Amino acid sequence: MVFSSITFLYYFMPVVTGIYFLSPKGFKNSVLLFASLVFYGWGEPKYIIFMGVSILVNYILGLLIEKNSNNPWSRRWLVVSVVFSLGMLGYFKYADFLIENINYATGSSIPLLKVVLPIGISFYTFQILSYTIDVYRGEARAQRNLISLATYVAFFPQLIAGPIVRYVDIARALESRQHSMENARIGLRRFLFGISKKVLIANTLGELCTIFAAAQEKTVLFYWIYAIAFTLQIYFDFSGYSDMAIGLGRIFGFEFLENFNYPFISKSITEFWRRWHMSLGTWFRDYLYIPLGGNRTGKSRWLFNIFTVWFLTGLWHGAAWNFVVWGIMFALLLMSEKLWLGDYLRKIPGIISNIYVMLIVVISFVIFDAPDLGAAAERIFSMFGMNHMPFSDVQSVYYLRSYAVVFVIAMIASTDLPKRIAERIRKTRHGEIAMTVAEPMVCVILLLLTTAYLVDASFNPFLYFRF
Amino acid sequence: MRNKMLNRAVVGIIGAVWCILALFVWITPSAEISLSERRKLAQFPQITFKSLIMADFMEKFEQYAKDQFPYRFSFRTAKAYTRFYIFGQKDNNGVYMKDGYAVKLEYPLNEDSIRKATDKFGYLYEKYMKDKNIKTYLTVVPDKGYFLSGKNGYPSMDYKRLFEIMEKNTDFAKLIRLEDILEIDDYYKTDIHWDQEKILKVSDKIKEAIGIGQKNTDYKTIEVKLPFYGVYYGHSALPMKPDRLRYLTNDIIERCTVYNIETGKTAPVYDTEKLSGNDPYDVYLSGAASLLVIENPSVQNGKELVVFRDSFGSSLAPLLLDSYSKITMIDIRYISSDLIGEYVAFDNQDVLFLYSTSVLNSSSMFK
Repeated sequence: MVFSSITFLYYFMPVVTGIYFLSPKGFKNSVLLFASLVFYGWGEPKYIIFMGVSILVNYILGLLIEKNSNNPWSRRWLVVSVVFSLGMLGYFKYADFLIENINYATGSSIPLLKVVLPIGISFYTFQILSYTIDVYRGEARAQRNLISLATYVAFFPQLIAGPIVRYVDIARALESRQHSMENARIGLRRFLFGISKKVLIANTLGELCTIFAAAQEKTVLFYWIYAIAFTLQIYFDFSGYSDMAIGLGRIFGFEFLENFNYPFISKSITEFWRRWHMSLGTWFRDYLYIPLGGNRTGKSRWLFNIFTVWFLTGLWHGAAWNFVVWGIMFALLLMSEKLWLGDYLRKIPGIISNIYVMLIVVISFVIFDAPDLGAAAERIFSMFGMNHMPFSDVQSVYYLRSYAVVFVIAMIASTDLPKRIAERIRKTRHGEIAMTVAEPMVCVILLLLTTAYLVDASFNPFLYFRF
Repeated sequence: MRNKMLNRAVVGIIGAVWCILALFVWITPSAEISLSERRKLAQFPQITFKSLIMADFMEKFEQYAKDQFPYRFSFRTAKAYTRFYIFGQKDNNGVYMKDGYAVKLEYPLNEDSIRKATDKFGYLYEKYMKDKNIKTYLTVVPDKGYFLSGKNGYPSMDYKRLFEIMEKNTDFAKLIRLEDILEIDDYYKTDIHWDQEKILKVSDKIKEAIGIGQKNTDYKTIEVKLPFYGVYYGHSALPMKPDRLRYLTNDIIERCTVYNIETGKTAPVYDTEKLSGNDPYDVYLSGAASLLVIENPSVQNGKELVVFRDSFGSSLAPLLLDSYSKITMIDIRYISSDLIGEYVAFDNQDVLFLYSTSVLNSSSMFK
């Protein structure tokens, strides 16, 4: 099931919220777990089994890791957990990629497994690993209650596309959490802003990307329109999802960490990655980069650590070489910023460094979105006029005009400008009252508008579902 | 204290609107069809163990939930308004508005499709018409975009190239050009089709090209009282003013009968029962059909016309009836070209291929 659907908004959500708040405290996790299984099983019922097995196995391993905390078996059970979880992920996500490359390199013809990727497996695998690793490190106690652990892993707001919630950050809330009108208000507002970002902006820009992909005649201008549209689409799609997840979590009494912090205002790639998909960055930092030695090693080892993390970050996003290249590209940029480029970027005007970041980011998402490396190269060459095509035509100009307002709104909304304006208004004499009155009105309008768009829409899954 | 009250008020307002909408969703009875969209609406899917396991139920339920949403058209209109007037977008669901006309974006030109269409016409000629004392004619009906798209900055197909390909690849037929006599006013504002009342000049030109000479003068105009909301009204979802549907009739037309070979039913040329159906344009020859035979007892000259056509032909055919004792209408979107010979004997007839640019540009539907 997706948040941005009539089914979720007008069937699932009212029923689940009603039952949850009417049920006694001791049953609330069970309600959330059952709802999460329905939510997950709505699209792919059979994959509930794989997630269930993962949860059960790691529940037992968590207990074993803790029980053997004073002897080497703790580490061995952790290795079992990591191998099992990554093995599942590897089988579903990377097996065919591996076979394809073996076939290509050796000329063999090993048949592909053609397994379908269970939705959200990359996210819940990382959550499960965070649990067993936290228990191994002694940062969290092993969860005795299977329902609580299953609720942590399968909790529907963040199950399918994150944010990746670390077990230690949520362990207490799993046992006891506060529900309040303030949480409900913040949660509702956040959810409605998130779904509006997805439905009104991301899906609209997605249409433009689809039109571009289907267009027979393309121009340099159309390639740039597409590249910028996709960059904005993926931001509004993914950050919208995160907003919805955070908002829903808040309604049910959980406080998830932020996943995006206006990444497009960054003035370096280093800063960009501190602001984009923060939960994934934090996961790799805490469970890979720091254990590898982080930056407290020699320079060559440090660079190796960066390369490893970004190679795997790329691969995490998808089993294809364009994702690997995408990750390595960022590794090289981050290395160069840490070695010399960073000092230079700090000295030049902010607008120039922001343009540098956005140029890199736009090109990176062209690579990200391409079906393969050849297509990525073709698109980038076309953007720079190297494919002997006209600069513009009627079609390109039409779509530029037709989506100009959407572009402007999306560009402004991707910065912190609206937030700063809202804060400034709030500080004025009558601003607080005006904002308080406006809040429910804006929320209701957004609810109605997203409903209108959903009623008249075709299916638009979230881009990050495929990971 | 104040904050607590504010929190309650905000949650209460949003929650109340949400719950009321949800309640409407649950209690509103299901509708069968959407008149504006001209389609059947999805119904609550059957629940079976297999449909749950295979997720068929869920997939169908998603469509059902969207289709049966209360005040569906109003929500679609709200979306259209937002797109056009807040986001400044130029089209909604591929339909744009210009000078009060709803126009579908028809582009780019699919040259392969045009060639396939002409190949198909050539095949039909070779199979049924060659050496049978048959005169063949071809005419192309431009879509509304021909008149409005290019000059107003909307993408449009390369019509010049389309006509070039048609002319080059159909040397077996005489091309009757309509694009220079038609104008945008000849079409409905909310629909894809031309207005029969405005196309007497078209039937005159065709008659003149064929050499049957007789010009149309003697028709009575019947104006349908029901408003006519065309197919683009539903696509655009904007609250457009309805068109008025009028049809031209006379004693000759009223004495004609239309026999549907597929269903075995006979109907009048203007099937007024269709006026209250999904698509009032179906008043002409009862709508889409693979094979129709119009018998004209008033004309005893033995002349026959065979029209390979799309829906534009339905409103044109009645205006050609005063010259023929029989007109056969064939729609190869609904019948295989190879089967036509089993129902139609080709010998000493006039044959007219009449297709709109929209259909030619997506000719994969030809059988």
